[in-house]
Amino acid sequence: MKIIKTKDLKKIYWLGKIEVTALNGVDASVEEGEFVAIMGPSGSGKSTFLNMIGMLDTPTSGEIHINSNEVTKMNSNARAEYRLKHIGFVFQFFNLFMELTALENVMFPMMLSGHPFYKERAEELLEIVGLKARINHLPSELSGGEQQRVTIARALANKPKLLLTDEPTANLDTKTTKEIMEVFIRLNREQHQTIIMVTHNPELGAKADRIIHFKDGKIVEG
Amino acid sequence: MAHDVRAALFYSKKDIFKNRKIFIFITLAIIFATANIIFVNGFMDGMIFNDVDNTVESSIGHLNIYPKEDERFIDGLGIKEERLEAIKEVEAYSPRVSASGVLSYKELSSSIVILALDPDREGRVTRLLEKLDSGVAINSNDKDAILISYRLAEDLKLNTGDEATLAFESGEVRVYKVKGIIRTGNLDFDSSTVIMPLNEANRQLGIDNKASVILIKLLDKEMADLYKPLLMQNLGVNNIKTWKEEIEFLLRFSDAWRSFSRIISAVGLIAAAISVGILIYINVIHKKKQIGIMKALGAKDSFIFKIFIMEAVIFGLIGVSIGDILGYLAIKYTEAYPFYDDVMKAWISARFDSSLLYNATLVSFTVTILAGVYPAIKASRVDIIKAIWGE
Repeated sequence: MKIIKTKDLKKIYWLGKIEVTALNGVDASVEEGEFVAIMGPSGSGKSTFLNMIGMLDTPTSGEIHINSNEVTKMNSNARAEYRLKHIGFVFQFFNLFMELTALENVMFPMMLSGHPFYKERAEELLEIVGLKARINHLPSELSGGEQQRVTIARALANKPKLLLTDEPTANLDTKTTKEIMEVFIRLNREQHQTIIMVTHNPELGAKADRIIHFKDGKIVEG
Repeated sequence: MAHDVRAALFYSKKDIFKNRKIFIFITLAIIFATANIIFVNGFMDGMIFNDVDNTVESSIGHLNIYPKEDERFIDGLGIKEERLEAIKEVEAYSPRVSASGVLSYKELSSSIVILALDPDREGRVTRLLEKLDSGVAINSNDKDAILISYRLAEDLKLNTGDEATLAFESGEVRVYKVKGIIRTGNLDFDSSTVIMPLNEANRQLGIDNKASVILIKLLDKEMADLYKPLLMQNLGVNNIKTWKEEIEFLLRFSDAWRSFSRIISAVGLIAAAISVGILIYINVIHKKKQIGIMKALGAKDSFIFKIFIMEAVIFGLIGVSIGDILGYLAIKYTEAYPFYDDVMKAWISARFDSSLLYNATLVSFTVTILAGVYPAIKASRVDIIKAIWGE
């Protein structure tokens, strides 16, 4: 079953009077439980595509279907609600709340959604990503790899159907990169988590089920 | 909905107490604005009440009986005194006689107003005879002693113990010893008044059983309006003024001062509100990325708005509570250690009234929340993409 399907997706930005076409008619689909890597040179439109299917941004034209729901027509409140319940994000720069501990960072999306056992679930998630011993530490007291694990646990908090990640290992060393990738692969293999990962790294891309190549705002392969 | 509020409150508390400098600056602004409202208004109320009380206690009665229009004296003083004695709400009364004359000392002389009174009775109605700059008060048996106002003493270069010649309007001339110099703070009174015993004045002026005015002290001065018609009927007089009517100008002036103190408080509060608003807004700008992440995670605009409004509420609760305590303590301090007004010869202190606390709390809290509205709206409108990727 297709969890994502886009149809003739276009995104045009204006930099002053200059028109920039970030996406130029993208037709793509992702199956449920699939691990897809999105690759391509800088400015090829891969992050813009991720923002579109993550409902962080709206397309200039075209359609996005998530779980068979056409989401481009949703208002901002409905999009926020949909993101909260169905989409998890792992960002390149971790983007944790610096004033919250690891446990509180993971609890937060569940508090937003009204999860009744948010603390227990957050502890469980931090255990899954191997951070049970550091749950009461602030992000500033954690290493880059540990912060990214917290981000992954937070992204999984509301059991999203879709996990989107943009260069998740760009700021990590080789050993930590490997550990983080293992977490993603384990989530995909064991829990059938659908993952879409933007990366520049061909080695990481090769670990995905499929690679979609972007160039000049279009899919050129995959 | 409740979980939404709980999550917003959870983040607000964490955010507020994480950034201690901003927390301290914002809280201090609210604390001092609130304390300022309470103290300035409390002090102004205290000054006004003291001033009114002092004026009433030192120079007028709660009710003052005057002669009929076009007449100089109240006749039948004895009968009126008997009737006043029978009214239980009348605590004390004091008849006074006013006359004019000339006081001379060596080569200097000055036109004066003679205020004749019975010192014993006057002492039960007003504190006039306590307002001494030097010397001692006269008593009812004094036949050759007077008190003079301090400016008259300066003009004639008179000191306590000196003997001055007083020429009455009746033509009588006598020498009196200055027993004391008096200062009330009332400009007219202090410039040219001579106080002497009523019996002596009656003798020299050739009058009996008359008064220029009868000052009446009631058990409760706030009952003056109520007893005015009763006394008019009972005593058969038609010219009675309540203390409020006597000091109408002072009361109007006091109201103007009260309005002025409200304006001062409002200006202080607006300045504090602007500071609070700017500090919360700076916090929002620093938090742009965090706001973007929250939105990416699924927070709605209304949730972001709630976070920053709750921060304003928390700042308000803490700042206003401490400000209330500080303002209250400041008032209590001046009550315990009042300032002495040398001109009025009276102690001045702030005056605490619970309405000060209610009003300051309500106004400061409301203004603090309003100061948080604009930053909260700006925060709720942060663009996710720009916030997270810093575009």
